Amino acid sequence: MHDMETKLRKAAKDLLESGKVETVVGFQNGSLPLRTRPHFVRDASVADTLVWNRFCTNNLAAYLPRLFEKPASVRGQWSPPKIAVAAKGCDARSIIGLIKEHQVPRGSVVIIAMPCQGMVDPRKADAAAGEAVTDCHAGADGAFEVTTVSGRTRTLQRDQVVAEACLGCLHPAPAIADVKVEGPSQAPAAERFARAREFEAMAPAQRWELFLKEIAKCIRCYACRQACPNCYCKSCFIEQSKPNWAGAGDDPSDLLLFHIGRMFHQAGRCVECDACVRACPMHIDLRLFTQKLVKDVEELFGYVPGASLDDMPPLCAFQSDDSESFITHP
Amino acid sequence: MADTHTTKQTVAGTESAPAWEPRIVAFLCNWCSYAGADLAGVSRLQYPANVRVIRVPCSGRVNPMYIVKALQLGVDGVLVSGCHPGDCHYISGNLVARRKFVMLKSFLEYLGLEPGRVQFSWVSASEGGRFADLITKVSDDIRKLGPAKQIKKELT
Amino acid sequence: MALGVISKEHLGKLIAAVSRTGRFLGPVDKGDGVCLTQVSAGDMLALDYVNFILPPKRMFFPRSEVIATHGSDGMTATPLPEGRVVLFGIRPCDVLSLVYLDKVFLDEKYADPYYRSRRDNAVIISLACRQPAPTCFCTSIKGSPAGKAGADILAVDIGDVLLLESVTATGEAFMAEYGKLLDKPSAEQVSSRQAQVAAADAKMARVSIDQATAKLRARFDAAAWDELTARCLGCGVCTFLCPTCHCFGLYDEQVGGQNRRVRAQDACAFPAFTLEASGHNPRTRQGMRMRHRMMHKFCYTAESFGEIFCVGCGRCIRSCPANLDIRETLTEVSK
Repeated sequence: MHDMETKLRKAAKDLLESGKVETVVGFQNGSLPLRTRPHFVRDASVADTLVWNRFCTNNLAAYLPRLFEKPASVRGQWSPPKIAVAAKGCDARSIIGLIKEHQVPRGSVVIIAMPCQGMVDPRKADAAAGEAVTDCHAGADGAFEVTTVSGRTRTLQRDQVVAEACLGCLHPAPAIADVKVEGPSQAPAAERFARAREFEAMAPAQRWELFLKEIAKCIRCYACRQACPNCYCKSCFIEQSKPNWAGAGDDPSDLLLFHIGRMFHQAGRCVECDACVRACPMHIDLRLFTQKLVKDVEELFGYVPGASLDDMPPLCAFQSDDSESFITHP
Repeated sequence: MADTHTTKQTVAGTESAPAWEPRIVAFLCNWCSYAGADLAGVSRLQYPANVRVIRVPCSGRVNPMYIVKALQLGVDGVLVSGCHPGDCHYISGNLVARRKFVMLKSFLEYLGLEPGRVQFSWVSASEGGRFADLITKVSDDIRKLGPAKQIKKELT
Repeated sequence: MALGVISKEHLGKLIAAVSRTGRFLGPVDKGDGVCLTQVSAGDMLALDYVNFILPPKRMFFPRSEVIATHGSDGMTATPLPEGRVVLFGIRPCDVLSLVYLDKVFLDEKYADPYYRSRRDNAVIISLACRQPAPTCFCTSIKGSPAGKAGADILAVDIGDVLLLESVTATGEAFMAEYGKLLDKPSAEQVSSRQAQVAAADAKMARVSIDQATAKLRARFDAAAWDELTARCLGCGVCTFLCPTCHCFGLYDEQVGGQNRRVRAQDACAFPAFTLEASGHNPRTRQGMRMRHRMMHKFCYTAESFGEIFCVGCGRCIRSCPANLDIRETLTEVSK
């Protein structure tokens, strides 16, 4: 891990010094235990502020549409900036999606591929340790040694500490790479849609009740939307006034409309990075619902979002023999 | 979505209280299903009067949010009907719609929306009989489900 | 000032007694964190928590509320909320936030009737902090782990018992009303309270906000704002979880021939917050929006109400998805 950090810094320095990119998007140390924060390096002399460890959770692709947006002050021709991103498997999949949707110009983005062993979820670590964890590092056999606020040290198992998204990850290593940083990568998960299958097995009324219970926690801060790399719309449907899709209050029906609308908009695009889940201050289990969309596009159209630059996004394409199972025949 | 055409049918035996009648919104493609509805009318075919038709240029024009929004505004069911695959006036509008709707229906029902609230079909301009049968079936399905409450916004 | 102790085991009796005439809300662990929730006598109160996920402003200024319904017969205002509510376990930093919100909503000329009614109906029993979180910094501003401002009664957890001290006349009357459930504190208990408070105080993070108001004013146009907030994702976590952020919008809703007017909280982090009817938006960049939030807290309110509207609860730091830290932003911009 430390080795990868050194390589990443060197790669960033080279890219900046050679003028190949103007900005390297990566991580720096955060202000809280078990946290890092997105970091924008524009000068080779500070490339050493980049860090790489098991806390680099944010999906950095979320910043790209904004960084590649043509500034309002520029009139006429504009050439986009050159930007490098230290990308984990999920970040790279999001970037591929954004390239396909023309939000990121392929020629202007440099993907520094960072193989991933799964990132630590601080909330999970705190819950498993029973109190706030102040330090956490990988120990032997994939386990983690943690120190808690009261000074105790404990050993926690990988699945007690590593984020749920990472435990179910099929693509821990980036699918495309412009600069490769060698390093260890976890084995792809074997069972993927376990939670969706379990949920599908429940009765509809029970599912609806659980869905309502989760959504009722929403305070409409829109952190899920803002943290999502796919949510780059200039004006979100929920904030439009013509037409006015939903009320601004916390009427359950309006909360439903927002979440159904936002999640369904991820159909065929969601890479299950869990940025929305991590961002939610109310711990809404959005993953349980978005997983269904990922499962459906894979089962119905054989499509894995962000796996390749070549295939068409599934909802922009069609086949003559697509499923007709949902059609009502009188 | 004020109900200006409330059906005044009554259930036998309870003459004072009007029976609940489902209200269904149908998004019909201008080039086929809408013409199919016309043909059913011209042919004087009988079908339940529970459907309010919204004419759209193509089933591909139907934003999934229209369907969810209609349920929020209090309709009991939504039907989207377009041209049969291969017959789209715009070549592929209904084929793209087909992918969108298979995902939507599956997602809504996964969340726990009552199966049958949202339905999709294909009716061509020459299929007046199929249209009448379709509306009969959809009305029956939704009547069995009862009033839709799951997404409906209640102001009181 | 009255003093009394109540054993933790007997809290259920107090809850039962209060519930006969009103509602009792206390800290309950809901699995995703501790929330201020209505409880009845049998419920377990969680007394070992850092702070509530949501700030107590929600009790007085909900995220959204229907303030009127309207129809062909004109507009009918929603009746004012009634009935006594005892709020137990709010942390001193959060209680202080209510003192600040009072300045906004209980203005002499334009008092908010709903807010006032809820404030008048409430008895606030705050609970002093034992273990501050790494995000807490109340002592750097105006707070203290055992601050009294805004509370009717301050409770300090000293082991098996809570030591209650009345702060206001309301608090004193409350303690007299339930005097049968309270014992006289021993000298030992009073001194252990002192030690407890000092220990929590010593654990608190410090941040210098000397002359932050003047320094921020001077740096309104600083280019640093965009760089500092580059990682800001533009969500409303910090504003919605902030105990003092109080901006709201009024919205008219119509469904099926019924109409109502809703007041809902809004956040300056959203571009639509300043979007004008013409389509012009005076705050185009996230940096400008974050600057507004900081200036509002540390300059505008200081100038118009004489108080910095930050109590150091640390919610915005803890829950920020991009780990923006208001303490660092403050230090950086007030350089």
